[in-house]
Amino acid sequence: MRAIKTKKDGTKILLFLIPALLIYLLFMVIPMIGAIFFSTSEWNGIKGSPINFVGLKNYISVFQSSAFILSLKNMGRMVFFSVLFHTPIALLLAVAINAKFKGYRFFKAVFFVPTIFPLTAVGLLWYFIFMPNGSLNHLLTSIGLESVVTSWLINPSTAINTIIFVNIWAGIGYYMVILLAGLTTIPNEVYEAASIDGASSFKKFFHVTIPMLKPIISMCILMDIIGTIKVFDLIFVMTEGGPNGLTNLPTTLMYYEAFRYDNYGAGSAIGVIILLIALVLTLGSKWIMKKTEA
Amino acid sequence: MKKTKKSNSSMKKVGVYIFLIMMVLVFIGPMVFTLLSSLKGNVEIFDNPFGLPKEFLISNYITAWKEANMGTYFLNSILISGATVGILVFVSTMAAYVLARFKFRLNKFLGIFFLLGMMIPMHTILVPVAYIIGAFNLKNNIFALILLYVAFSLPFSIFVLTSFMKGINASLEEAAIIDGAGYFQIYSKVMLPLTVPAISTVSIFNFLGAWNNVLFPLLFINDNKLKPISLGLLNFNGERGSEYGPLMAAIIITVCVPFIIYLLFQEKVESGLAAGAIKG
Repeated sequence: MRAIKTKKDGTKILLFLIPALLIYLLFMVIPMIGAIFFSTSEWNGIKGSPINFVGLKNYISVFQSSAFILSLKNMGRMVFFSVLFHTPIALLLAVAINAKFKGYRFFKAVFFVPTIFPLTAVGLLWYFIFMPNGSLNHLLTSIGLESVVTSWLINPSTAINTIIFVNIWAGIGYYMVILLAGLTTIPNEVYEAASIDGASSFKKFFHVTIPMLKPIISMCILMDIIGTIKVFDLIFVMTEGGPNGLTNLPTTLMYYEAFRYDNYGAGSAIGVIILLIALVLTLGSKWIMKKTEA
Repeated sequence: MKKTKKSNSSMKKVGVYIFLIMMVLVFIGPMVFTLLSSLKGNVEIFDNPFGLPKEFLISNYITAWKEANMGTYFLNSILISGATVGILVFVSTMAAYVLARFKFRLNKFLGIFFLLGMMIPMHTILVPVAYIIGAFNLKNNIFALILLYVAFSLPFSIFVLTSFMKGINASLEEAAIIDGAGYFQIYSKVMLPLTVPAISTVSIFNFLGAWNNVLFPLLFINDNKLKPISLGLLNFNGERGSEYGPLMAAIIITVCVPFIIYLLFQEKVESGLAAGAIKG
């Protein structure tokens, strides 16, 4: 708006920026630079003990460790299933709720509310359902499906999938609300025109709704990928990465590596790798989106 | 012809309802189970997981609140989340005011500089932050925890507030200048009141963020008197995980604040999330 010309004004507006800049520098920018520094060093976490520069050694040993490779595979699996289920189910729910039938607000709240709950609470809530003598096994037994009963979070072949299910459950409402907001931007005339042309609601969904929502759908998928990479609380609460580290993600592995085994260098290296994965995926998918839109 | 069309559409409605009701069961089932269990004794939770409690054990809530310290954790979280929002709003509106209203050489750079913070995952900077916390003896320091939350919330908040302020008509401020108001007066008396819708979105979003976070307190708070509720809940599960009734009550106590906030500010919570979506 107004151009600042005098030096006096310059120092005045600087005063407005200083608090934000100070907090941001101290707790975000300097730690970010520190993360790169620590990822190329060896440190045992004890105050005053030496921090030795080791170059890329931490990165090399991280990529050579089977635990890290497994955590990457788990992450890939979790991202794949989240993308497969989150947005499609959320879209169906959004379209159904957008019909504004009687009581639609109730339905919307039911699906949305879990997304604003602390994931520690969500994780615990499901933990008690999935534990060996929990209510899911109770329910399965009572309807005669005893053969399905298992220790969901302890059995290596079900543990990660169980967590993936909870992650999907906890996120659907978020994408539903975003897609609902998108649905309201589609003008009614488009649907009316399609109706006049004799399109069934099935056709309208695939030929009007989905194409018109394409930018928002891509955004949901992108957010889903980035959000899933950062999942930590659910794993930490439900399995602590077990059994035998089989349900670790890079985030939980980073935490255990640094703060349980005191390998601060390796932990930082994993932290930087998480950032790089997020960056590459964000920039990569934005690039793809631009390409497909052009 | 007309008749078949009508029955067709009511069939469709039935289909939609069946789909919705099935989804509702998957969503509401676990929540109702937890709520019911929070009023039951251990034996009943396992013998009769989905029925109504025989007698409503309100005592589970009293046990959780008093003996398991959930009351203390709850109040700590109110304090931590409240102070986070208070400091954040003050600091981020001042920065946003400058970024939205003044032309200077570094304006664009600073906007991007703050925006980039949204990309950084908490895990990436945990070790350096732990180092800083250790070096300055800030462990078990609630204020340091609050500043950490503020730092992490700044990128999103400054982004939302700046774009909102840019859209405000400048004529009121020009009138204030003619009346001889200084920049701080314009900021506090003109800009802040006009920005209230964006401020409330940012406040709710970041209050929930601070309420739900467990990673920072897990590392930096180990004094039981200072723990926030997410960490307190974990604590409770770790120490007395077999007291299912009180534990379920503790879960309900933990989620009740986000739930109430949603009931009170439904639109704001949803628009806050949608605004958060832009950040990707």
